[in-house]
Amino acid sequence: MTEMLSYDFMQRAFIAGLFIAVLASVSGTFVVLRRYSLMSETLAHSALVGVAVGLVAGYNPLWIAVIAAIGAAWLIEYLRSAFSLYSDAILAIMLSGSLAIAVIIVSLGGAFNNSLFSYLFGSILSVTNEDVLTIMIFGSFSLVFLLLFSKELYFIAYDEEVAKTSGIKVRFLNFLLVTVVAIIIALSIRVVGSLLIGALMVIPTVAALQYRVGFRNTMLISLFFAVFSVIFGMSLSYYYSLPSGATIVLSIIIIFIISLIINKK
Amino acid sequence: MKFKVPIFDVKNLHFTVRGQKILSDVSFEIYEGEYIAIIGPNGGGKTTLIRMLLGLTQPTSGDIKIFGKKLKEFKEWHKIGYVPQRATLVDESFPATVEDIVKMGRIAKRGIFAGASRQDKAMVEDAMIKMDILNLKDKMVGTLSGGQRQRVMIARALASAPKILILDEPNTGVDMLSQKRFYTLLAKLNKEENITILFITHDIGVIADDIGRLFTINQKATICNDPKKMLSCEEVSDLYGIDAHALHNHKHEH
Repeated sequence: MTEMLSYDFMQRAFIAGLFIAVLASVSGTFVVLRRYSLMSETLAHSALVGVAVGLVAGYNPLWIAVIAAIGAAWLIEYLRSAFSLYSDAILAIMLSGSLAIAVIIVSLGGAFNNSLFSYLFGSILSVTNEDVLTIMIFGSFSLVFLLLFSKELYFIAYDEEVAKTSGIKVRFLNFLLVTVVAIIIALSIRVVGSLLIGALMVIPTVAALQYRVGFRNTMLISLFFAVFSVIFGMSLSYYYSLPSGATIVLSIIIIFIISLIINKK
Repeated sequence: MKFKVPIFDVKNLHFTVRGQKILSDVSFEIYEGEYIAIIGPNGGGKTTLIRMLLGLTQPTSGDIKIFGKKLKEFKEWHKIGYVPQRATLVDESFPATVEDIVKMGRIAKRGIFAGASRQDKAMVEDAMIKMDILNLKDKMVGTLSGGQRQRVMIARALASAPKILILDEPNTGVDMLSQKRFYTLLAKLNKEENITILFITHDIGVIADDIGRLFTINQKATICNDPKKMLSCEEVSDLYGIDAHALHNHKHEH
């Protein structure tokens, strides 16, 4: 462990990874309770469009990914309210559409190489100082929002209409929540990868729900699972040269299965 | 009492969906301290009416004033406690203890940066005591019976110190014994705390004797100011001919 942390790149990966574990699990609690799980997958694919533009145009892919994911989140909310289409169908269309756009941009720009692979599956080797800084800045803003409004978001997740009738600004908070979730997903693709971030957001909460405890404890358990799986997964990634996203996600899935078995009635 | 500003002042409310009239020219006032039951057939517009009072559905035309203010300008929503129809049918896996739910009643009242104050905590506890669920406070809501859940939902509404409680068919999924207890609790809140009660009920047979007025909603509203003479209210007996007699017999049994 000390040997692993003596490398600068691993220190950066751990700082970024732990920050993302906190962000993904805290926001994930609301994502799961509001039944937005598929939305996190869709936003991750939309973020990839930003990565593709960044890679081809030579800008920082993470920044452009944040912008692309926010744009996609707002578009989804608009489509949901403007057209009474099935909302999961909108998500499915956006998911494959974004992936198609990203692949075409990358192919046309001739950037279809290892760096795209690292954004798909996560890579601890590629986390730069700039990435850590970006994650810290946007991540802190997102975390402050989530903690400030956690009670309101919890109430909305429980019963949107009752929350509205008791004077909570439901529409505004929904809008901010999807924005923050979009930011967190875009930030996470460096470490976890866009194909796997949905899992880090959703599975720790679903695993925590198996313990059937109150809101605060569910959130804390989910946080613990996410942090543990990031540390464990990144260590596996380091020792066995595997993509970090895959090892993190497999770790959290194992935790989920264990939680399921020990809480079986 | 009538010189006071009414809690709800509803004038000429109309609601039409895809050419189909749901509510037509509904007007009434509700004053502080009243105990009102709304009855009417399925699809008659009861729930739509309540949703309009709460600002969840926009009327096609007509005016609603709450505490003398136009609905759009009304901000003190904590004065109105709402218990929706599906309240007792909670998702069993939702991570909420009884206390988590009752605390929700205090959220909108306090500012963003404020934590739970001593008053918040006292109000939450007080609401749980009134609904006799303090002993259940650490229990998960999903594990409770229908009757217990119903009391949790009312405690949540009470925690914001409302002037009026609006309940939409609160007895869905609740056994008879709990229903009786529920009506006793409502009457107590009305008499002892002066909380105005407005509730929809599907089943005229269980309406308690404490009701002050009875609204029959079937596209139009018919207001019966003396429920004791309910059987002579034409609209009621038209709608509920058989049930009204059942109610009559029911009352004689006790």
